[in-house]
Amino acid sequence: MGSLYLPGHTWLHLAPAGLKLGILALGSAALMWVHSPGLLLVACMLVCLSAHWAGASLRHVWQQLRPLVWLLLVLGGLSVWSQGVLQALEMVLRLLTLVLAALVVSMTTPLTQMMQVVVWLLGPFQWLGWVNADKVALAFGLTLRLIPELGVQWQDIREAQLARGLVPSPLTMGVPMLLRTLRRADEIAEAIDARG
Amino acid sequence: MLIEFKNVFVERERRLVLTDLSLTLSERRIGVIGPNGSGKSSFARLINGLLLPKTGQVCVDGLDTAQDVTAVRRKVGFVFQNPDNQIVFPVVHEDIEFGLKQRESDAKRRAMRAQAALERLGVGHLSERSVHTLSGGERQLVALAAVLATEPEILVFDEPTTQLDLRLRNRFEQHLAGLPQPALVVSHDLALMRQMNRVLVIDQGRLAFDGAPAAALDWYRAHCS
Repeated sequence: MGSLYLPGHTWLHLAPAGLKLGILALGSAALMWVHSPGLLLVACMLVCLSAHWAGASLRHVWQQLRPLVWLLLVLGGLSVWSQGVLQALEMVLRLLTLVLAALVVSMTTPLTQMMQVVVWLLGPFQWLGWVNADKVALAFGLTLRLIPELGVQWQDIREAQLARGLVPSPLTMGVPMLLRTLRRADEIAEAIDARG
Repeated sequence: MLIEFKNVFVERERRLVLTDLSLTLSERRIGVIGPNGSGKSSFARLINGLLLPKTGQVCVDGLDTAQDVTAVRRKVGFVFQNPDNQIVFPVVHEDIEFGLKQRESDAKRRAMRAQAALERLGVGHLSERSVHTLSGGERQLVALAAVLATEPEILVFDEPTTQLDLRLRNRFEQHLAGLPQPALVVSHDLALMRQMNRVLVIDQGRLAFDGAPAAALDWYRAHCS
């Protein structure tokens, strides 16, 4: 049962969830207009500093970023080949900054606060009778909650196969992953039902 | 508390798992034992409306689990065998407060009730912790606190001591003894069953024995070992 949230009482934890998500959305959009590797490096370092302020260790940040390294290498390599070194550097720095910024928000914002923001954002649509904001927020929260758990499940299945001397392949991993995910969804639905 | 089973048949995945159950439960502590796959967990799930009978009727204090499922679930707290199945949110206090959302609209009061439930079990210090950093025993206590916070009138435990070491198991037994609510406990823990007022033995989907703990345990050892 993994989770990105790091409990704490830093100023980043105490900042309102709506403000953090708003800054993340606006900052991410603004980054698309920045085409200077120097400025992008400064932005990336600022986000790294905020991860440090949030109380995250280097190891914790690395654990979250590790799955992204291959993607960055492949995209960076393709970008060097097609557009040149500077553009590739720009793209990698932008992507890294975006992911790190999202990670900092996830590490410092409890899921229930994020769900409250969703309820607030959907308020007008609920007023019009188009959506049930609480249900959408719960679905959003559970999705966020289950993303890290998929990684843990993947690791468990992989270890179980390696322990039996099998070489994990997409097919042998995919089928048990699908079945486990469906079973987990049933378990969570049952847990929610049980609470009335 | 009055739980009534009237000619209940239960089917799961096209297999009959409980057959012709008719009984009334009103004791303060009721134990349920039986071999693996005998239908014990299905029996417990019927009381909370998590499972509905194929035919027959289950009533909790006069409420039919098929007709008044929401009211029944608010009355009956269910503690799952595996706390990971029960804990939905990643931080302890978030999870407990989530269960209170339908019962308590004020966020501060929800937080106070969640903290009080944790304190009651001696795990108030876990409130801010991420669930994935807790031990199996701590998770079990958090799952119990999440149910107790909702102040149910009846408690159903599905194999509550399976993941606990001896110290935590004894602590659970003490907590159980101190709970004011009537409780039904499904377990393989025979020592725990001795503390019950009435013990049901379920075997191959049928109520095989129903009586006092000593007699029920003797019957269980003689017929199911």
